[in-house]
Order: sequence, then C-alpha cells, then structure tokens
Amino acid sequence: MVFSRLFFIYIFLPVCLGAYFLARGTKMKNNVLLLFSLAFYAWGEPVYVLLMLLSAVINYTAGRLIGRYGDSRKSRITAGLAVFTDIALLGVFKYSGFIVENINHIPSVELPVPDIRLPIGISFYTFQTISYVIDCLWETVTPQKSFRKFLLYVSLFPQLVAGPIVRYSTIEKEIDERTSSITDISYGLNRVVLGLAKKVIIADQLGIVADSLLGGIENATAAAAWTGAAVYAMQIYFDFSGYSDIAIGLGRVFGFHFDENFRHPFMCRDITEFWQRWHISLGTFFRDYLLYVPIFGKRRKYGGLFLVWLCTGIWHGASWNFVIWGLYYGLFIFIETLIGKKRMKKIPLVIRHIYSKAVIIAGFGIFYFEDLDKLGTFFTKLFSTGRLIGLQDRILLVNNVYLLILAVILTFPIIDGIRRISQRSAPVRTAAAVSLPAVSAALLLLTSILLVDQTSHPFLYFRF
Amino acid sequence: MQTDNKKPGKLLAVVNIITILAVLFGGAAYLIFLPHETVAEDENRRLASFPEFSPKSYIDGSFTGGIADYFDDTVHGRDRIKKFIAADITPLKGRKYGGDEDGAELYGIAFEHSEETPAVTTAAATTAAVTHTTVSSPAVQTTAVTTAPIPAEEPAAEGGEINSNILVVNKRGLPLYPGGDVQGYADTINEYKKKLGDVNVWSMVVPTAGGLYIPSNYKSLAVDEKKDIDAIAAALEGAVPVDAYTSLAAHKSEDIYARTDHHWMALGAFYAAKAFTEAAGLPFKELSEYEELHLHDYLGTFYGYTQSPTLLNNPEEFVYYRPKNEVTVDQYDTSFRDPLDVALLVPSDNMTPSGYYYVFGMDNRIAHVHTKTGNGRKLVIFKDSYGNALLPFLTYSFEDIYLCDMRYFDLNAVSFIKQVKATDVLFSMCTFSATGPNLNCLKADMYK
Repeated sequence: MVFSRLFFIYIFLPVCLGAYFLARGTKMKNNVLLLFSLAFYAWGEPVYVLLMLLSAVINYTAGRLIGRYGDSRKSRITAGLAVFTDIALLGVFKYSGFIVENINHIPSVELPVPDIRLPIGISFYTFQTISYVIDCLWETVTPQKSFRKFLLYVSLFPQLVAGPIVRYSTIEKEIDERTSSITDISYGLNRVVLGLAKKVIIADQLGIVADSLLGGIENATAAAAWTGAAVYAMQIYFDFSGYSDIAIGLGRVFGFHFDENFRHPFMCRDITEFWQRWHISLGTFFRDYLLYVPIFGKRRKYGGLFLVWLCTGIWHGASWNFVIWGLYYGLFIFIETLIGKKRMKKIPLVIRHIYSKAVIIAGFGIFYFEDLDKLGTFFTKLFSTGRLIGLQDRILLVNNVYLLILAVILTFPIIDGIRRISQRSAPVRTAAAVSLPAVSAALLLLTSILLVDQTSHPFLYFRF
Repeated sequence: MQTDNKKPGKLLAVVNIITILAVLFGGAAYLIFLPHETVAEDENRRLASFPEFSPKSYIDGSFTGGIADYFDDTVHGRDRIKKFIAADITPLKGRKYGGDEDGAELYGIAFEHSEETPAVTTAAATTAAVTHTTVSSPAVQTTAVTTAPIPAEEPAAEGGEINSNILVVNKRGLPLYPGGDVQGYADTINEYKKKLGDVNVWSMVVPTAGGLYIPSNYKSLAVDEKKDIDAIAAALEGAVPVDAYTSLAAHKSEDIYARTDHHWMALGAFYAAKAFTEAAGLPFKELSEYEELHLHDYLGTFYGYTQSPTLLNNPEEFVYYRPKNEVTVDQYDTSFRDPLDVALLVPSDNMTPSGYYYVFGMDNRIAHVHTKTGNGRKLVIFKDSYGNALLPFLTYSFEDIYLCDMRYFDLNAVSFIKQVKATDVLFSMCTFSATGPNLNCLKADMYK
C-alpha cells in the first residue's frame, strides 16, 4: 500500500487512528500499531510479508545473542552473520537479476536471469535491522527482549515503505513509553497533509513536465535537458520529502519522534552540504556504519568515501545509472574534500551556488535515465549548441509556469520563515494559527480531488 | 501550515485536529457509503469492480490490491470531479502559450521537426514520440467493457499502437505527426498491386487535423503530412493514389474534422469519398440523399487524453449522415465467420454523446455491405478507424463493400480479396497509420 491513495487516506488511516486511540495503554496501542503495520505491508505484499518476518526473526535473535555474549568474539561473529544474511537477502531480492544480467555479458556465459519482484520497502527495513544489530554490538542500544516490540520497530508502517531509515535508538524509549499530546497530534496531522500535498499537488504534476522535457531527449535542446533535469530534481524532492513528511507526521500522531530526513537540500552551497540535507537518514547510516570500515587501511578516508558513494548509488536501484550516480557524487565530494572546507568557503557564494545546482541537476539526469545510451545523449544535449530552446519547450513551460514558480518557491524554507515571523508578531501568529485548520482541510481536499484523477486511464494511445 | 510550534493555543490545536479528522472520516463515509460509479465514458472503460476472493488472488496480491483499486477507481461523482479538475484546477498550473483564449496547450512529448529532419522520415522517428508517464502509485487494474452501452475495448494490435502528442490551439486538438516510413507504405501497396493483378488498387492516405489546421507558427512541432502524402503518391506503381488532401483542404472552413477527437467528422469522410468515386469514375450522391443526425456536446478522445480545460469548455456538435438507400449489412469476426445482421450505423436509441465508435461501430469486425447499386463493382477496404466513416458514402457507388481493419484481420488479405471477387481495393487510412506501426499489420496481412 502507498500513502498517496484514497484507500489509504480515507479507509485505512481513519480505521487505524480510531483503533489506536480507542486502545488503552502503550501495550495495547503497540498491538494495534503492529497489527495495522503488518496489514499495511501484507496488503501489497501478501507473500513477502513472510520475508520481512524472517528478517525480523534473524535480527531479533542476533540482538538477543549479542546481548547474551557481551563484548566477545561470539558477538562479533553473530553480528557479522546477521549483517551478512541481511545483505544476502537484499542481494537476492534486489540485485540478483542485475548481477546475472551483467555476468551474462561475459562471452559464452548464459545464466538464467532470476525474475524476482522487488519486495516493497526491503531496502529500508534491511538497513534498519543492520543498524540495530551493529548498535547492539557497539552497545549503543540495549537488545530488545520482546520480539513483538522489535517487530513493531521493523514493520512500523509510517516509515516502512519509503523511509526515513529510523534507528532503533530513536524510538527505543518511545516503544515502551510515549504519549500523543494534542499538539503532537495536531502537528502530526498537519505534517501528513503537507506530505500528501507535496506528493500529489506538486511532485506528480512536476513529473508530467519532467517527462515531457526529458522523454524525447533525442530531440531536446540544451535548455530542455537542463530544465527537464531541474524539474525532475524538484519532482523527486517533493515526492520523497513528501513521503518523509507523512512518515514523520504519522509517527508524531502515534507519539514517535522520527528525525528529519530533508532540510531544504537545494539551499546547499556545495555537494557535501547537499548530502547533509538530502535523505539524511541514508547519509548518516553510511557515515556511521560504512565510512570507517577498516578495509582500505591508511587510505580509508578516500577508499571509504568512494565505497560509501558506490553503495549510496546502488542502494537506489539495481541499474548502472545508479552506480554512476553514486560515484558521480562521490567524485565531487572527493574534490571538495581535497579543496578543503576553508578554501571552499573562500569561493564566492554565487559561484558555489551555481556550481552545486549545476552538479545536482546533471546528477538527477543520471538518476532519470536508466538506459545508458539515453544517458549519454542527455549529457551530449546538456552541452549542445544550436537553438537555445525549442517551441515545444516554450509552450510546455508557459503552460506550467505557475506550477514551476510555486515549486521553486517551496524549495526554500517558507514555513520556517512564517514561523519565525509569527514568533515575532502576535497578529501574524494568530492569523497563522487560526487559518491553519482551513488551509490543512483545503490541501487535503485538493489532494483527494487530484487523486481521483490519478485513477484515470485516458487514451494513452490513439487508435486510428 | 503549522510547524513544530511549542506553544500553539491548545484550543486551536483541537480545532485543527477536529477539522482534519472531519475531512478524513467524512471522506471515508463518502467513499464507502455513496453509490460507486461503474463506467468512465470519457475513458471508454468499465471502472474497477470489487475483486473476488480466492487463495490465489490473495497470494498474488490481486485481491487486496483490487479492493484498494475498487475504492480509488469508483468514487461517487468521479466524472464531475474530473471535469472540475479540468475546468478549475488544471488552468492554475500556467497560461496558454500566446496568452489569449485561443492560445496553445501541449500534451505529451512533442516531436519537434527541425530543419535537419528529412521530409521522408523513417519508422525510427515514430518511436521518439512515445508518451512516457511516471506514476509512483500502482496502476489501477480495470476490466474492459464487454456489453453496451460502452463499446468493447479493442485488443492490442500487432505492430503496436500509434503514439503521438497533442497541441490544443484555437480550441482544437491537433495530433502532431512525427513522420514515418513513407517508402515502406508505398512498397507495401505496390506489392499488393502486383499480387492482385487486374484488380483496381487505390490508395487514399488521409491527413489528420494536424495536417490541415496546424497554425504556421506551430508547424515546427510536426512533420508536414502533405509532403509525406505526396511522396507516397509519387512512389506508387500501378496502384492509383486518391488525393483526399486537396478535397479536404478545399473545405477546411467546414466542420470536416472533430476538434475534440482524433478522427475526422463524417463531412470530411464525405469529401474524401467523393474524391475517390470521382477518381474511380463511379456514381456518387450529394448530402441531400442522406439523413442528417446530430450528437450534441460531443467530447472526444482528445479530451479523454488531455483533460484540456479548453476542450472541456468547448464541446462540439457531432454530425453524421445516414444514407436513404436500402442496404443489408452483415458483420463477421476477424476470420470472416459468424455473421451477424446489423445496421449500417449504430442505432441512435439510448445513444450517449460519447464517441466516434458509437456512430460508426468498432474496428474489430469485418463488415459486408450489400447495396442495390447493381453495377457489379465490389470493393474491399483495408482501413484504420478513419475508414469507418467512409462506408456510408460509398453505398451508392458499389454493389458490395467489405470493410476490413488491417489491425484486426486474421486471413490472407490477397486471398480474401480474390475470394470475394473484388473489382476494387481501397487502402484508406490516416498518415499515422500508413507510415507508422500499423503499417506492419498491413504488411503482415499479405502473408497470413
């Protein structure tokens, strides 16, 4: 199940909220959440829910064993086996087809390509369980004794299918003891509405524009290639950060406090900063668990860096363009590391903004084109000369000019700005607070109306 | 939106919660208790039905997925909501290019014809214009309609469907022709002619509305259809080209093409049929010999595809003509079996203003029309859906007419033509079909 469906918003969610708040005590509330989380996952993955359960059993057991063995070799072996199993499961279900396809490029090798459908959310919950096992080993968390509670951590539906990657330490205490205050619930519901609006009102509409600009890349001008990739970057931002908003908001309604996953990434001044603002939970995961893995000896600083970016790329998908995408960012971060923070800061701010946006936009082109031939064409077009912009692009941009302006504005911290102003001005604060319910309701209704249209199956093809 | 404000008034927070929950639970009641829609006429399909449970459907996810699809797809008042979006929300995204009421909107991935592109393009050019849609939500599973009033969904044709992009300008939808395999079409018709010997072989490649109505300042968005039609005519050997373009262009100011649909209007087919019968030296009746019929507030396939507010706010009058002469019509399946006695045009009883096919019938049947012309001329038409509208206007000119859609034909076309003792064969289709993927069907029909 995904959040941006009428069935989720108007059937699953109200029933879940009703059951949750009718339940008495944290234990019952946890049971309700666990039940709905498993139902949520099984709704889309009736079979793969067993895989998630298997993963939970393995990692729960590993945690318990690590707790029993303490700081010993047995603990390290247990953790190693658990992490290996997690990665192996991810490898089989996510990467086996890709790996075999590439092996088949070797002359005279013709292995059957496994046709395994990717289980929803496997990348997220696998990283959560890996972080849990390692944290148990490092004794930064206490192994959970209750399988029911551990399973709740793994399967908690707000963050199950699209992140953020929630560390066990984040919710360790709240699993046992939490409250949902009126302000928490109000804030959480608003955040959910905001996330849905970002996804449906902004991202999905931007997607149409991005596809129109990039879909016919062979005939694109340089301006269309740049604009298309920029629009696509915004689409992914509003889509992904929208899902994170929904997850954080739902978590808050249920009394959990998840960390932020996006902090206005396009405000960044360099690529290093971009990744401190974009998909923060993934970046911190790799920073904490992979960057300093001592497999590169004295060169681990740079070796680890490229390993992190290789993994970051391939985590996003089993395709070469994602590998390239990760290493592309790794390269720029490597260069920035060589230049050094102090010298980077001496570069005029305008130049740094232009540089970082150009790198990011071109990077999202890599993300968009899984077909490497088309990706090559895209880069050729980025630097092509000739017509600045085609007629079709002019029409398209004018047809969507208000949407694009709104999207650009919303990449800035507008809400933070309103909050700051309202903290200084009582009338603004009152106006914002009073208008909030109406704004939320209007956004939710608009989102719902647009979702009705998303089930539309128009004539994608003419039939002459 | 509220952010993590530490001291909001508790009362306002309560009001906020109540407001959002009211929408959530109100929406739930709306979704569950109000009657569910069953048909989407503008999309030509039945909406999702509640899935049947079985162990298999549960395991493969189609049962649970189907429940979500059912609620998402059958929202009460769906059509009105979609029209509200088209009329009142979509225009908020931007402005029409050119600014005024008659300005341009573009849908799809436009193929822009540049100076370097040759006038005679290849099939590969067509593939560049495939509509690419990314939707992160799972697609809704639906079932095709098999009973009236919505026509059955056509099976996918061998050789692919035709993809294009649409320019809406001057309150008219225009398909943007991407060019195609001009020589391939001419070679195919020439091969038919060789195999058919003495049978008269006619080729009438019809322009789409884009070929006639695209304003000069937007011409770079499409390949020139006239150039390709002329190139085809020049490349034919033995087969006779019929110049529908000139006839249609002469009547451009009349309603010869639908503004909201990718087909021509019956009046356009009338002028094209006239050009054909003149070329063939056959009798032809003027419109006074036909009964004029109307469908009001017609919104065709262009609206279905684009949801354009301009098209929604400017529906059109669909005018068609029924010949007054007596004809018998039998419809067969694609192997020319199982005849059904039917009317030439779909009866107007309970007809809703939903589409070209309501009037002219579907493509996936072979029709045999017998007239009292008594001139011994037997015509086989190989066509796309444009050809359906031609049929009524040829009933004064031929004794027998066999209407075959090249995409839905399971026999050897040459053998069929010989079997029915045809004196004439007309290949009539629009430019997209002639030079696009449908050409593969026409080629394949020779070798079945």
